[in-house]
Amino acid sequence: MNDILVIIPAYNEEANIKSVTDRLTGHYPELDYVIVNDGSTDRTAAICRENGYNFLDLPVNLGLAGAFQAGMRYALAHGYAYAVQFDGDGQHRAEYIEPMRKKMDEGFDIVIASRFVTEKKPGSFRMLGSNLIEAAIRFTTGKNIKDPTSGMRMYNRKTIEEFAERINFAPEPDTISWLMKNGAKAAEIQVKMDERTGGRSYLTPITAAKYMIRILVSILFIQNFRGGKTA
Amino acid sequence: MTGLFRLILILASVLATATVIFKIRKSKMQIENAVFWVLFSFLLILLSCFPSVIYCLAALLGMQSPANLLYLIIIFLLLYKVFSMSVHISSLEEKLKRLAQNEALCRNAEEAEKPDCGTGTTGNDADDRTEKATSGKE
Repeated sequence: MNDILVIIPAYNEEANIKSVTDRLTGHYPELDYVIVNDGSTDRTAAICRENGYNFLDLPVNLGLAGAFQAGMRYALAHGYAYAVQFDGDGQHRAEYIEPMRKKMDEGFDIVIASRFVTEKKPGSFRMLGSNLIEAAIRFTTGKNIKDPTSGMRMYNRKTIEEFAERINFAPEPDTISWLMKNGAKAAEIQVKMDERTGGRSYLTPITAAKYMIRILVSILFIQNFRGGKTA
Repeated sequence: MTGLFRLILILASVLATATVIFKIRKSKMQIENAVFWVLFSFLLILLSCFPSVIYCLAALLGMQSPANLLYLIIIFLLLYKVFSMSVHISSLEEKLKRLAQNEALCRNAEEAEKPDCGTGTTGNDADDRTEKATSGKE
């Protein structure tokens, strides 16, 4: 058995889930994966069942944090050493999982597939948020994360346990910041990401603004008061 | 406003903030929910330390009494919070109901020794509707 589990949260991804999963299992049959269907109202679950995919079927929609946590609990229960957060919309490329693993073996707890290690961040409006979060993380942890909003990250066993068991562990930049503040070592490797292949993004200006406020308040203020390891 | 009263106001708003922080510390609150109360308690501290902000705003908007503006702002914020909590509770109740029903259907399927859990997991809206429509007759 492989010791890496690829966790693919999927909410209404009927347009993408088949191509994403087939690409993953076609090119990298040695990787274990689990799709977490987050109470989709479309045919996501039906597609998984028809194709015999390994998937968790949440009966209600829990949101990304709850769906991902279900995947982490699966990883914990099946004894995986590493877990990879992998989008169900076709943005992420599985070819980077192996290099991430190599980086992990250098002694890191979290490895982020980053778009901006060697590449320059475009100065677009969309990247303003990314820059703000990067600055907030630098302010609280003193460390640089160039692509904090990247949704492709690898976690080691210790971090898997935290994600699986504890409250307030959404797979978001503020959690990464908190983990780093508490001694977790994070690294980034340069990757390329694709545009989503189908379906639509939920990033409207209002949800983006809400997301930014939540992440920034969380990183800059709330994280300073969060309970320690024993909570 | 007497100095003592102002001191009490400031203390009360700091206490409110401390309560929010304490709950976060004990990991009793999700960050999503904590963000509102953190920002709200900051606003209280700001207004108790610098009440002139309200006076200026009231004058700017042409309101006769600054107190009215203060009440308007706070009541609006709290109304918004109560409303969004109502919406949230409704969705939680709906999810809880579905979870309990799924559990019951699963147990029923297990007892009938069917391997497949009849949970309506096709997630199909049309299926859901027929389920709801027929459930009344059973």
